[in-house]
Amino acid sequence: MKISYNWLKWYVPEAPEAEKLADIFTYHVAEVESLEKLPNGDFVFDIKILPSRAHDLLSHHGVAREIASLLNITYKDPEPMYKVPNPTPTKLKIEIKTDKCRRYMGRIVRNIKVGPSPEWVVKHLESIEQRSINNIVDAANLTMFDCGQPVHCFDLDKIYLRTVLGNSKKDSPLLIIREAKEEEQMTTLDNKEVKLNSSDIVIADPDQVLAIAGVKGGKIAEVDMNTKNIIIEVANFDPTSVRKTAKSVSIFTDAVKRYENDLSPELCSFAMKEMTGLLVDVACPERPEEVKWEEIVDIYPQKQKEKKLSFSFDKISKVLGIPVSVEEIEDILKRYVFKYVYKDGIFEIEVPPMRQDLAIEEDMAEEIGRILGYKKIEPKIPKIDFKPRVSNTYAKIIWAREKLLAEGYSEVMTYTFADKGKVEVMESASDKKFLRTNLSDGLKESLKLNKLNSPLMSMDEIKIFEIGAVFKKDGEEINVAYNEKDKIIEKNLNEFCRDMPSNFKLEPRSYNLKTKFKMWSLFPFIARDVAVWVPEGVTSLEVMKVIKENVGELVIRDPELFDEFKKDGKVSYAFRIVFQSHERTLTDLEVNEVMNKITEKIKENKDWQVR
Amino acid sequence: MTEENQKGREHPLSILAEEAYGIFSKLGFEIVIGPEIESDWYNFDVLNVPKDHPARDMQDTFWIKTLPDAFAQDFLLRNVNRSQKHTGSVVLRTHTTGVTAWAIEKAGKEGKLPCAFISIGKVFRNEATDVTHEMQFFQIDGMMVGENISLADLKGVLTHFYKKMLGNKVEIEFRPSFFPFTEPSIEVFAKWKGKWLEMMGAGMLHPSVLRNVGLDPKKYQGFAFGGGLDRIAMIKWGIPDVRLFYQGDLRLNQF
Repeated sequence: MKISYNWLKWYVPEAPEAEKLADIFTYHVAEVESLEKLPNGDFVFDIKILPSRAHDLLSHHGVAREIASLLNITYKDPEPMYKVPNPTPTKLKIEIKTDKCRRYMGRIVRNIKVGPSPEWVVKHLESIEQRSINNIVDAANLTMFDCGQPVHCFDLDKIYLRTVLGNSKKDSPLLIIREAKEEEQMTTLDNKEVKLNSSDIVIADPDQVLAIAGVKGGKIAEVDMNTKNIIIEVANFDPTSVRKTAKSVSIFTDAVKRYENDLSPELCSFAMKEMTGLLVDVACPERPEEVKWEEIVDIYPQKQKEKKLSFSFDKISKVLGIPVSVEEIEDILKRYVFKYVYKDGIFEIEVPPMRQDLAIEEDMAEEIGRILGYKKIEPKIPKIDFKPRVSNTYAKIIWAREKLLAEGYSEVMTYTFADKGKVEVMESASDKKFLRTNLSDGLKESLKLNKLNSPLMSMDEIKIFEIGAVFKKDGEEINVAYNEKDKIIEKNLNEFCRDMPSNFKLEPRSYNLKTKFKMWSLFPFIARDVAVWVPEGVTSLEVMKVIKENVGELVIRDPELFDEFKKDGKVSYAFRIVFQSHERTLTDLEVNEVMNKITEKIKENKDWQVR
Repeated sequence: MTEENQKGREHPLSILAEEAYGIFSKLGFEIVIGPEIESDWYNFDVLNVPKDHPARDMQDTFWIKTLPDAFAQDFLLRNVNRSQKHTGSVVLRTHTTGVTAWAIEKAGKEGKLPCAFISIGKVFRNEATDVTHEMQFFQIDGMMVGENISLADLKGVLTHFYKKMLGNKVEIEFRPSFFPFTEPSIEVFAKWKGKWLEMMGAGMLHPSVLRNVGLDPKKYQGFAFGGGLDRIAMIKWGIPDVRLFYQGDLRLNQF
């Protein structure tokens, strides 16, 4: 969630400077993924709001309230500043025909003027990377990013026209919140054709779908430059239903993100007040008397229950592992404006409507822990009375691995996914949709790769193994596979471990863990051999020295002596030189040059000959 | 010059896994190994991750299309002693947390409490791969349950672990986080060469999880942690790309 620092400051004028605030947030609320300075001097935070707080912190108000309580500074409540126009009677009718709509507020506003938004609105929106569209749409978006409640506007006259054609009463527009019919269709505001079914909830007039509830508005009642009369929608929908519909139509809007995290229906009245107040300022500021603000219609069938939560003062310290005093807890409850009573070691709090994440004692332990700061927790090593058993499977894996390592085999790991197999995954980011039925296929590839690379690793013979799970038609099992030359042998782990002594014990081994990894070159290598006749008595090291002095930068490792024999008072030494660059593919030409140079230098020695 | 009869070289992740198992064994944890194909009950439900909940989106899951009949029978047989509640959907496990949860359940039934378990194994995430993301990787997962196990114990255990793995200078820090199976939930950061790095998710086991494994949350509490082993290897040795672990390329075995 993008949060503008200047915007926040409207509500918490005493907030510390942006960088400090980012730190405070990361250590006490949620991670600030980035903090960016904008050209206009504002800062924008990108905060990874946690799912448990998405119902209140995906908003500037929520974040500001959290900061105010956390730092014990003033929260400037904007509500008293919202203008409240005098309402006129309304004939708007709203019918909720599903339990998936927990509240629906509608208000008709007539004679507004669609046009550009004032500069401060554009600035606010741009600071969090939102595009300004027009004053009406902007006001709805601004309200959402400000208080967290999605707001939608319909063009009343477009609904009106349809109801006339549909023979509805002309002067009383009707909105119905209902399940979609099977195969019912709608075109979204961004011109996407969507097919719905009965598990989706829609907002409709008597004839046609106007919007997918909580997900996206429809084209049919879009607010455009000619719009004069609108219906403001501020509603609350079942989080699971919104989430399912969003998934099935593949539309993920800012509204979905909020609804699926279970917004409080109590928030609707606040948002309606804010949206109205904003519209008073932006919808027709030059002739305000012409705008008619009809009464709000508020259908609220599932009133949010008041919740209480009890927690014992003991439990907090017991969970956190640090002593927390009653006074510290009381101080926190006061700062967070939780109403509470404390009696006999038990706190009972009234859970604020916007903090539905607080449901059990442990939630309060987290709340108090994060506010105090987890830095306060001193590490301690627990001693428990528990006698661990030995894992037979693990012991077998270790025995098998040690046996193969001792025989000179090196361990590889290959991919579980394969082109074919007995078990298939439903959807995959990869084109390999099956799970391997054996290790052999992967090991074969690994063998091929390592053989090609053998000049780089000075290995005469490639010996590899893998231990891992395979998925056969009759179940999952752990196998062991290794090669004998080009042949791969694969056995079930139990079978491989048939000779494992019964007294085998797991002994911790020590490794050279300090080594630093050296990345290899991803470019091809070129291997060249050079064989030299020298008089008996000249050591291979002397020849090696000449080669090393003239071989240049492009060799990947020391020349390797791979052959040596004597004949007629002379010795032949054969060396393999491997060239490879970390930056580019080497050419034969440049390697030939190096080899020529080496040959020349060798020949400079008396009685040395290159074969 | 021949290297015959020389010892082979172990895969870096095996080295780390053995190290980690050694460290936790000394702290009294029991090693548990579980299957890579897991019921959705142990991968999600038991861990308080309800269906149709945004929390399920936190991990991109490989769902299994169908199991061959004999495989399904074998799977059910192996699961016969486990909870009967699973709905029949199976997944490639997205973490090894289900393995430790099952171990706690079993320990509870056998009256072996307090208890502590550690499980390292291959896990799967259905996501596009890049230098830090791979569809398969290794996770290290631990739980400890008792009557007075707290966040301070968790901090002690993890501080000890990372000092052993990355060196004595390492500092550990807890930051607020969210996981459905823990409350409080924290993110564990380690300070390595002057930088704070995200290492694993952890917290105190959520009472629903304790109830799901048959324990009374009024009496017992405990911690859980889980994070990538590949990541520790990458940080520790400076291995630049997670995908190198699964290429079958012996040039990786440098340790």
